[in-house]
Amino acid sequence: MSAETVQTIIDDLGALLLFTMILIVAASQISRAIYAVAAQSFLIAIAGAVLATATGNADLWVIAGVTLVVKASLLPWILHWVVRRMNVRREVEPVIPIAATLALAVAVVVMSFHLSASLGSVRQAITGNALPVGIALTLTGVLVMATRKTALSQMVGLFASENGIFFTAMAVTQGMPLIIEIGVILDVILAALVMTIMVLRVRSTVDADIADLDRLKG
Amino acid sequence: MTGDRPLGLVLLEMILLVLLGPLVTGIIQKLKARLQCRQGAGILQPYRDLAKLFRKGTVQADTASGFFRAIPVLVLAATVAAGALVPVLRAGPPAFPLGDALMLLGLLALARFLTAIGAFDAGGAFGGMGASREMTIAPLVEPVLMMVVFSTAVAAGTTELGALAAHRGTSWIFAWRAADFLGFAAMLVLLPAETGRIPVDNPDTHLELTMLHEGMLLEHSGPGLGCMLLASHTRQVVTLGLVAALFFPIAADGAGALDLLLGAGAFAAKILVLAIFLALVESSYAKLRLFRVPQYLGIGFVCALTALALRIL
Repeated sequence: MSAETVQTIIDDLGALLLFTMILIVAASQISRAIYAVAAQSFLIAIAGAVLATATGNADLWVIAGVTLVVKASLLPWILHWVVRRMNVRREVEPVIPIAATLALAVAVVVMSFHLSASLGSVRQAITGNALPVGIALTLTGVLVMATRKTALSQMVGLFASENGIFFTAMAVTQGMPLIIEIGVILDVILAALVMTIMVLRVRSTVDADIADLDRLKG
Repeated sequence: MTGDRPLGLVLLEMILLVLLGPLVTGIIQKLKARLQCRQGAGILQPYRDLAKLFRKGTVQADTASGFFRAIPVLVLAATVAAGALVPVLRAGPPAFPLGDALMLLGLLALARFLTAIGAFDAGGAFGGMGASREMTIAPLVEPVLMMVVFSTAVAAGTTELGALAAHRGTSWIFAWRAADFLGFAAMLVLLPAETGRIPVDNPDTHLELTMLHEGMLLEHSGPGLGCMLLASHTRQVVTLGLVAALFFPIAADGAGALDLLLGAGAFAAKILVLAIFLALVESSYAKLRLFRVPQYLGIGFVCALTALALRIL
């Protein structure tokens, strides 16, 4: 594959990643948001495989495989399990209306593109749209975390944000050292487990959610 | 002015579109019926409906003004004129000044406006409600459609639909740039809204309080209703043709008889693909509550804006 083809494919995957992000922001049912995150992780695994064939870096194959297994299958499965366990169907509960969140997401996307266009020489070194797309994904993930009341939706936002960082790192550096990537993945798994236990515990002991925990008691 | 499509070809394409409009509706209805495990009416049923309506007499509300009678003809005329702008048999700019994609959207908006005016004019409660709802949804759909058009027009350097289709070329999805994916996604979100289908509107019911388009047709009867129905069939196929011109590749470059035949076949295939998509969406989703529609259309808006951002920034 020529460098130009690879760049086009990464750009296209970036567009699809942005689309899944929009779906996550707009999802009014938690299960749809989880499917969107799974699709996002799947796209990132594809991006890893594409970069692996392009650069001949065998580590990227491992990373693509691990992403596919852990982030595209295992994490969504855990999230679905928690949804079933908590017996909730519509667990999104936005702080501000979803339409307003969508408008903010647009602002974030435009801002990221504007920002990375103004980076000048740094931008020149990184071909294609991988950097602005990655920034947009990360910030929109944070936006999802900030505008949702329930812990589950915030988890979805965190994973989406993490996907953004992962995509940026992979596309910009053409493959980070394997040990770092594995460490990141392990962190994500641990975070998922800890948050899952937290969510279920909080739910079962005080029957409240994150939004209710707003007072500090000494 | 030189171009690829002479007057005769444009007229032929327009007539073809109008004649095939009801067939597309018939195919969608048949597909829907089969998906719901029903036998369903034949795919020619819309033609039979139209023939029946054109044989009937007209009844008019006492409160309606003389303008009311002209509405169906005007709506049909605007929609058919929009049909002239869609490239069917071959791509390329027309040989004479005709109008571009913005003109097409404007004509469709004019038809929508006239339909709403007609519904108000008749003085029925259902009509007024349908019209006000349609006018609530329309400002959310039309700007986004324009943005999708712009996002492809920026790359092609023209807003003329035939030239846009020619710019897309014969290559398939491999030639899509990043913005095309998002633009197409926005288009797929908007399609049910623009063609008046679930999850935005329900084309099958006349008496449900949630309806938009059908509510505005209630006061029309006989040939007038026939014109309105033919206009909505045409509008649907025009919208699908717009999507095909913007995003799908063309079959052949040449102007020979064989190439035109190939172009016609390819156009039919593209329309069929989109019709299957609409039927699948209609069978698998429930109609949205009216107040949820803006949120749904918001997805299309964000996708279109991101596509534009990818193209420009």
